[in-house]
Amino acid sequence: MVTSPRFDKVLKILNWVAVIAVIVTLGIIFFYAPTERTMGNVQRIFYFHVGSAWVGAVAFFIALFGGVMYLWKSEKKWDTLALASVEIGLVFLTMATVAGSVWGKPAWNTWWLWSPRLTLITIALLTYAAYFMLRGAIEDDDRRARFAAVYVIVAFVTIIMAYISVRILRDIHPVVVGGVAESAQGAEEGLQEFSGLDSAKMGMTLMASTMTFSLLYSAWLMNRIKLQRLSDAVNDLKMQVTARLQGEN
Amino acid sequence: MNNLSNNKKTSEAREFITAVMAVVWKDMRIEQHTRQTVSVMVMFSVVTVIMFNFALESNLDAARNVSTGLLWATILLAGTLGLNRSMALEQENQTMDALLIAPVPRNAIYLGKVISITLFTLALEVILVLLFMVFFNKPMWRPMVLLILVLGTIGYIAAGVIVTSMTIQTRSKEVLLPVLLLPLALPLVLPASMAVAAYMFPQQPVWGEVQSAVYIVIIYDILMLAAGFLTYHFVVES
Repeated sequence: MVTSPRFDKVLKILNWVAVIAVIVTLGIIFFYAPTERTMGNVQRIFYFHVGSAWVGAVAFFIALFGGVMYLWKSEKKWDTLALASVEIGLVFLTMATVAGSVWGKPAWNTWWLWSPRLTLITIALLTYAAYFMLRGAIEDDDRRARFAAVYVIVAFVTIIMAYISVRILRDIHPVVVGGVAESAQGAEEGLQEFSGLDSAKMGMTLMASTMTFSLLYSAWLMNRIKLQRLSDAVNDLKMQVTARLQGEN
Repeated sequence: MNNLSNNKKTSEAREFITAVMAVVWKDMRIEQHTRQTVSVMVMFSVVTVIMFNFALESNLDAARNVSTGLLWATILLAGTLGLNRSMALEQENQTMDALLIAPVPRNAIYLGKVISITLFTLALEVILVLLFMVFFNKPMWRPMVLLILVLGTIGYIAAGVIVTSMTIQTRSKEVLLPVLLLPLALPLVLPASMAVAAYMFPQQPVWGEVQSAVYIVIIYDILMLAAGFLTYHFVVES
């Protein structure tokens, strides 16, 4: 048995719930949320962008947790968790970056610029992409898992520094939560096009989108873990068959 | 009882420091006799600086403006050379295995390697600073600039030793190191570069302007050293 029946049942339910949540949230984003006064409908990207960015960050926390647990317990399931989480986190981060870039063109008249936050998101993307290069270069299972775990910890230090730098160094990225003064300052400089969460409906839409992305993450995570277990089972079988064939010879 | 545990702690600490110093001394002796690491780094850097000059020849003003960035880029690249050389030496001559057999705490090896490779890189940077002053006419000798260079190098090598110890055990060996290490080093290079650039003008910045950048560099150093301390054991044990 690769996965227990309970695992499969939860997986199935989660898949369905995630699909329904995505459809419902799309409806909420496009029909329920009010149109923003400064930017119009383009502002709706915000719900995709923030939702995926938030979940991407959580994914990397979970990957870090998996890495630390693997170093502590040396059980393969933690390495699988870390691998799956980094993969999915990378996807969410890419989604957030693309969404942000699409928003940036009408807002700042540029697809990209090297502000501190955007620079550091690039670093995060590069760092976690390199994770897969490291994994690909090691053949031994245990060593691969160990090195991957160490790398995830070191990469996380990089992310912490990215976060600290963003808070300390100046940035033109709109600060929506917890920084009314900064928003005002940005607006003065003619850089701020987004007036913040000025409606309860917007807040609720944001919460809905974040919850949906979290459900999506959980569903993808469980699917990925199952895939990995299947793949490991196949490798085990291959080795058994090879051993038996060699034994017969 | 208290005396006994205190004594044990001080003797453990003393053993630790002895181990660290032994690793540093070993690397220094090897370097003294073979001169391979620093000379390779210096040659690479000289060639790189001249290449930058040629590449930017058409726009010398622009070249001067970006010189602090070029300085850090050269340090990063030459650093990967030094890291590769130093850690590959350990593997080739199986000195790493010898170190691991000895009852030396793993993080003492880590700290020793960080110190010795940092010293090599700092030796390189002395020459780089001179070259940059000559070719780009920028006042790199300012004490704050040198301080930031030292702090930045420590953090970079702290991350570098962890990653290099992993990559030399892989199939791709030296090739993989820049791919892994350079993204990790970027949150260090950005503030460090900003801070150094602030000192390139005749008008010197006040401490308040550069303090956040310098603090970020220091925090990075501390976090990386801590990460290396805690995880080096898992990297070298087979």
